[in-house]
Amino acid sequence: MRYSTENIGTRNKLDFLAIILFILLVIIGFVNIYSVTSDVTQSGFHLSSIASRQLFWISGSALIILLISFSNVVLIDYLSYYIYGLIIILNIAVLFFGKEVGGARSWFGFGGIGIQPSEFAKFATAMALSKFLGGYGVKFKGWKNVSISIGIFFLPILLILLQNDTGSALVFFSFFLVLYREGLPGYFLLIAVWLGILSILSIYFNAVNLSLVYLYIIIAGIGSIFVYFLRKNRQLILLTVGIAVASMMYTGIVSFAYQTIFKQYQRDRIEIVMGLKQDSKGMGYNLEQSKIAIGAGRFSGRGFQEGTQTKMGFVPEQHTDFIFCTIGEEWGFIGVIGFFIIYLSLLLRLLFLAERQSNTQGRIFGYSACCILFFHWFINIGMTIGIIPVIGIPLPFISFGGSSLWGFTLLLFIFLRYDQVRRN
Amino acid sequence: MQDILKNRYPVFIGVIILFFILYGIRVGTLQLSNNNYEQKAISNALNKITLYPARSIIYDRNGEILVKNYVVHDLFAFPKELKEENRSFVCDLLDIDTSTYNDLLLDAWVNSKKRQKNNSYNRSALFYSNLSQKQYSILRENLFRLDGFYIESRTDRSYNMTGGGHALGYLGEATELLLSSDEYYQPGDLVGITGIERYYEELMRGTKGIQTVWQDRTYVEKGKVEIDSFNISPISGPDFTSTLDIRLQKFAEELLENKKGSIVAIEPSSGEILAFINKPDYDPNLLVGKERGREFRKMLIDPQKPLYNRAVKGKYPPGSTVKTVLALIGMEEGVIHPGSLKGCGGGYRLGSIVVGCHGHSSPLDVTGSIRISCNSYYCDLFRQIIDNPKYGDVKKGYAVLEKHWRSFGLGNPTGIDLLGESSGNIPTVEQLDRRHGKHWRSSMVVSLGIGQGEMLLTPLQIANVAVIMANRGFYYPPHLIKKIRGVPDSIWKKTFKERKYTSVNRKHFDPVITGMSQVTVPGGTASGMNFGDIKICGKTGTAQNPHGKDHSLFIAFAPKINPKIAIGVIVENGGFGATFAAPIASLMIEKYLAPDSPISRPYLYERVTKTPITY
Repeated sequence: MRYSTENIGTRNKLDFLAIILFILLVIIGFVNIYSVTSDVTQSGFHLSSIASRQLFWISGSALIILLISFSNVVLIDYLSYYIYGLIIILNIAVLFFGKEVGGARSWFGFGGIGIQPSEFAKFATAMALSKFLGGYGVKFKGWKNVSISIGIFFLPILLILLQNDTGSALVFFSFFLVLYREGLPGYFLLIAVWLGILSILSIYFNAVNLSLVYLYIIIAGIGSIFVYFLRKNRQLILLTVGIAVASMMYTGIVSFAYQTIFKQYQRDRIEIVMGLKQDSKGMGYNLEQSKIAIGAGRFSGRGFQEGTQTKMGFVPEQHTDFIFCTIGEEWGFIGVIGFFIIYLSLLLRLLFLAERQSNTQGRIFGYSACCILFFHWFINIGMTIGIIPVIGIPLPFISFGGSSLWGFTLLLFIFLRYDQVRRN
Repeated sequence: MQDILKNRYPVFIGVIILFFILYGIRVGTLQLSNNNYEQKAISNALNKITLYPARSIIYDRNGEILVKNYVVHDLFAFPKELKEENRSFVCDLLDIDTSTYNDLLLDAWVNSKKRQKNNSYNRSALFYSNLSQKQYSILRENLFRLDGFYIESRTDRSYNMTGGGHALGYLGEATELLLSSDEYYQPGDLVGITGIERYYEELMRGTKGIQTVWQDRTYVEKGKVEIDSFNISPISGPDFTSTLDIRLQKFAEELLENKKGSIVAIEPSSGEILAFINKPDYDPNLLVGKERGREFRKMLIDPQKPLYNRAVKGKYPPGSTVKTVLALIGMEEGVIHPGSLKGCGGGYRLGSIVVGCHGHSSPLDVTGSIRISCNSYYCDLFRQIIDNPKYGDVKKGYAVLEKHWRSFGLGNPTGIDLLGESSGNIPTVEQLDRRHGKHWRSSMVVSLGIGQGEMLLTPLQIANVAVIMANRGFYYPPHLIKKIRGVPDSIWKKTFKERKYTSVNRKHFDPVITGMSQVTVPGGTASGMNFGDIKICGKTGTAQNPHGKDHSLFIAFAPKINPKIAIGVIVENGGFGATFAAPIASLMIEKYLAPDSPISRPYLYERVTKTPITY
């Protein structure tokens, strides 16, 4: 089912609760950016300051919201592929004309302002994927539809990997979650989890210099137990043996990749998070400082502008990727829980709204928005609290930055606009 | 349209909520468990800046300032944070070249490591000390852009006189040895190296304070921590009152100008040193500030040895001045009595050797022998004492004499509040054995009887003899500090309040003191040294000196009744005791007893100050 002039309702409003939650998050973001970047020794508000720049991005974001709410949904729907195409072209162009920031070539510089096309690829991909799968008679079935669907979000993954921005590329794997809702068999995700476990084990054995043979013995052992219980069923025995052999091969491949493809700094990050490496000066320093900052907040926080860990630069990227440290340090456990509840409410609200869509396209877009926001939250917070290796991606609506704020605003409000015109 | 996959909706809800709960628990563990993260965060962002206390101000006995402080500013650096682009600015301002800058940086690196030993928060070190006023003001204006630099202020010394450095001492930067042995000090700290600055260092330095400041990761200060428990106010060193009299001190300097020698004046009733002067000496104001090191090295190689503290380190034959002591010992030992007469034929004959004496009436009693300073009398008396049949053996007799001498503070440190005081030399029996062979006789060591031979004393010990004479048999260890404000005497002054008695009974002093009072009147060896109605009791000394002209010595006290001042003067190569030492002592006594009246004997002052001695 598609968006056309006949089938859209008009009496609804943009979802009030989602907007309130969005506004709250943006305010939380601004307050913490202001707190962590303001210089106590200088008074007044400076145009060049980071907080005032964020205010500029927020204003732009408001403009985008206005634009979306007054634009025609049919037009938005119509433009989906074009926007996707444009963003893909921008992501190719940035490989040639972008400037390199921190090792990644993912920015266009216009005067003092930088634009990161990969941030816009998220909503554009969501548009393209939802339009494709929402088409008449299109189901997530058959190798053709499946490969087109996966291709839609693997193309940006490829381009962003070429930009050397692994973190942003990783985000697009959240579309697998969306596909799960649309019929991707559950065992795919089980396989993914199993592969994740095998990857961690393989890296662990590598990091502690244990021979993989031991890992093979463990896998064979587990397999034998299964075989024993399934001994009645010849097919399942074969399946188990097949899984075991594939698992062994997979760990071998991961091990090889870990040794040869991964760079030393990436290995360091992983091993530090696994607790295998003590490094209080380099990589581990940032992580330790991040944990200290959050831990220092205690129950009620150290207070607005009182977070020395973040304000005085001990936590890296304190207003962008590590902004959560400021929430943790200055607002404490109370503040974190408050923030989590608001964020969680937004995600659940998005799920709820997605489920009430009258067409597949709207539902897929809603799930895309929810899964992308969840994935960002999961990676970003996991990094600051030290359970995921340092992967630099922003915390949606909170981190400083125009591209990400605008990208997420587009993602959220295009969906809210779809929701507004749903048929009751 | 029927949605058969609708049942996957709750899976999403469940998984998302599950991860929020897991993360919530993780954050809760970080924030609510006992992991010292708050403490770590605080110590991360703190820097403890040392607040230097003002060193003790030193007043003279009448409340005039002798030594005070002035503020100096030092440039400190966090070596890690210094920016390459600021180097030329700093070089220009400090007027140093690039290689000097690099040397300073290297020193700062080394020192910053050391400094961490004492102050784990602070990774900075002294970069450049004693900024000029201009450098200081320019730096202050530009500090905000000079990453890694900051300014600490402390005090240095300023002296109210051009001499007296040997008593006051000087400051210097703490040595490696001191840094490793005493945690209080950090590289670049000033400590007392000599004089009372050294002796009272732990009191004078005061107590350093700490100002804790917030600093960011690049060590840029972000404001003060206003929590009391984080800050310690510095405590200034307590005010010191010296025993010195600045006017007397300055006067002594004038009198000794262009000469070599020492003047030590002491208040007999307390042991307080009123004046303490050596020449040559140095202007203490040269050993402060930036040029301290250079000036010090210059002084160290100066052939005039301006740093040499003669008064406590110099060893001189005391000559006739110690005849007073021998007379007392003779009476105590009972070998003579006040009326004992001895004849003198212009010298004392020992076989082929003659100890010369000047022409004078003969025979003389104790009083007369002091007045005339008869060598024969004391050569004979010396032999009488050590050959005393009571002891049977010359060595036993000599040992008794040595013990008496030592009771007068001779051959032992006086206990003055200066380090490195010499004992002088009163030869022991063993020393004489080595010198003269095992079987020496009294005739071989007779020169000890007239303060020559192996007997060597410091000017302070010689002055202290005058004190003992004035007190008729006791002295207090001479000292330079009278009072320390806020510190009870019982803590630091005990030893200076302890009377040291000689082994000679008080009753024997009369004839010797009468003799001393006659020294300064016509017929005495230093006649004409009295002034007004003040009677000066003195004793001249003319010490033979193998290196040149005789040293001129004089000990004295005045007034005779209830003495206020005792003094010892040595003028190297000054000839007779009466030539230089006696007039100097007399002028000093007059200056002390009548400080406000003009010098009553300008001719004497003129002669003393204008007559040069060639060395």
